[in-house]
Amino acid sequence: MPHEPALSIADRMRIMRQTRFGAFVPVLLALAAIWGYFGLIAPLFEYWSDPAADSIRFIFLSPRNIYNLFMQSAVIATLAVGITIVLLLGDIDLSAAATAGVCAALLGVLVLAGVPGWLACLMVMVVGTVMGAAQGLLIAYVGIPSFVVTLAGLLGYQGLMQKILPTGNLNVDDPFIRAIARILIPDMLGVVLAIGLVALVAASALRRQSMRRARGLELDSRFAIWGQIGFFAAITFATVLTLNSYRAVPLMIVLLVALTALIGWITTSTPFGRSVFAVGGNAESARRVGMKVNRIRVAAFGIVGLMAAIGGIFGASRFGSVSYTAFAGGSLLLESIGAAVIGGTSLFGGRGSVWNAILGALVIGSLGNGLDLSGASSADKLMFSGAILLLAVAIDAVSRPAGAAGR
Amino acid sequence: MTPPPHLRVSGIHKRFGGLHALRGVDFEVARGEVMALVGDNGAGKSTLMKVLAGAHLADEGSFWLDDQQVQVNGPTDAADLGIQIVYQDLALCENLDVSANLSLGAEPVKAGFGFLPRFLRPIDDLEMEIKAQKAIDRLEVRTLKSVRSLVGGLSGGQRQAIAIARAVGAESSVVMLDEPTAALGVAQTRQVLNVVRRLRDTNHAVVYISHNMRDIFEIADRICVLRHGGNVATWKTSETTPDEIVVAMTRGLDGGQGNAA
Repeated sequence: MPHEPALSIADRMRIMRQTRFGAFVPVLLALAAIWGYFGLIAPLFEYWSDPAADSIRFIFLSPRNIYNLFMQSAVIATLAVGITIVLLLGDIDLSAAATAGVCAALLGVLVLAGVPGWLACLMVMVVGTVMGAAQGLLIAYVGIPSFVVTLAGLLGYQGLMQKILPTGNLNVDDPFIRAIARILIPDMLGVVLAIGLVALVAASALRRQSMRRARGLELDSRFAIWGQIGFFAAITFATVLTLNSYRAVPLMIVLLVALTALIGWITTSTPFGRSVFAVGGNAESARRVGMKVNRIRVAAFGIVGLMAAIGGIFGASRFGSVSYTAFAGGSLLLESIGAAVIGGTSLFGGRGSVWNAILGALVIGSLGNGLDLSGASSADKLMFSGAILLLAVAIDAVSRPAGAAGR
Repeated sequence: MTPPPHLRVSGIHKRFGGLHALRGVDFEVARGEVMALVGDNGAGKSTLMKVLAGAHLADEGSFWLDDQQVQVNGPTDAADLGIQIVYQDLALCENLDVSANLSLGAEPVKAGFGFLPRFLRPIDDLEMEIKAQKAIDRLEVRTLKSVRSLVGGLSGGQRQAIAIARAVGAESSVVMLDEPTAALGVAQTRQVLNVVRRLRDTNHAVVYISHNMRDIFEIADRICVLRHGGNVATWKTSETTPDEIVVAMTRGLDGGQGNAA
């Protein structure tokens, strides 16, 4: 007897998240909810409840605050992009923030010793990669669970950072390093870049569609294609124009987007990226088709190390200093893992995207920023962040494929 | 008369420590035939299959492929000879779509990126979809809507078909199926048996391991019975009955070979 079983909410969510753009929906909703609350509801409420206020003050959604929000979230996002790679494998990296801390401290010491800024940056990127890959070697070849190895890494690297920075603080005023956060892309160039980017995305989507037609493959719906292009264009132009109306697009954001695009391309469109997804989905399957699972693990942890080092450079550049609490000792680690997970990358491996990590970082950044603006205590911030993280993991657990539930 | 064997092994011995799992087993399968391999638990079916696939190395015994003696010293040797195995757990990646699963580990890459190492060249996913569609069409899996659907959303029968398609896609001539219908309902079983028939019709040599007599008598051309790590006998399906096979599996033949337990 044919019958259509009614879809439960969990089923619907699962189906939605399996589509290419559906995975963006939960994190976008979370972002919209947070921005709506801090940007509209909170100021309106304040206006109505306080007779002394003479006008509504939309501080949160002001271009100035959005600019700060992007800069605050950039370091979290850089680490989250790296962490996403190991989450895709079904592993976790607890040492990313400590790695970033060691790299930033090393950077500070190197430039203090007179090493040119660009060379110091390259050196710490190599060091970060080695630090990550070393943990990967232990995980892949010795067979220690990644949780334990990177927990040990977290402790060890925290200690290492304290060794490098006995005072816990160091100013970085190398012009090259400061420039990463200080250089602004001129307004017009920013707009031109945005137009070029949107045109590129649109052209490649349309070219793909025409190639599909030429080869007689099933076609994407017109709605989906133009929806994707429109969505991408809206986000790009909104970002660039908002940032332009305060200052301009900072170089750091451009670098972050470029890096994410590169890593996103590697994960989705190359045999290496495919093998990362395969190992996360079914490591036994990957092994049987001849993939070198161990090497893939080491490479993935190397990439986290590299991204952590870049995060360290970005942080040092933005703060103009390196401090223990800003990296290894602070909340950066949990914020960046939280960003990756809130972005919709599964803790169970095999599902996720680096772009979502950036949106997740914005969610975490917005939450902190909004709570700061409304005068919440750090205790409130921690509890809110915990609740959001829990919600994200719950969505992840509920929307896992049914067949994988018992794995 | 029996067709000439495509793959033939003889005198296979396999010991695991003190356990003598295979005691001089002979086995053969021809192209365009489905050879069922049956036996009670512990009879050595899975061990024999793994030896054929190179997952276990035989302690003694010889392999012939089309009357050429060959060496199988590992899974890649077996794969190079065109011997593919579909394990019971299928080993599909549920988070990837059908076409990605079918090309897993051998993704076609676009031309013109020779300056990059192979694992960083862009995947030609259109080519991958075309290959997948061809493989699916060859096996006539009609229920599959799109090669772009995620394997996690497919039915058990469809997954089995995908796993078989992956084995066949790798230029194989011998396909071994381990209990392919064990976890499936009636309609799904029908679907998988149709795929197995397509394999036979496309001139593959199929080794079919199962406990299900009904499936075996529906699909197999010959039935090879193992007991206690040795051969009992091989029957043509048309010349035997399920009862006879069950008796052979559990008690062996009176005075038959290979049941010196």
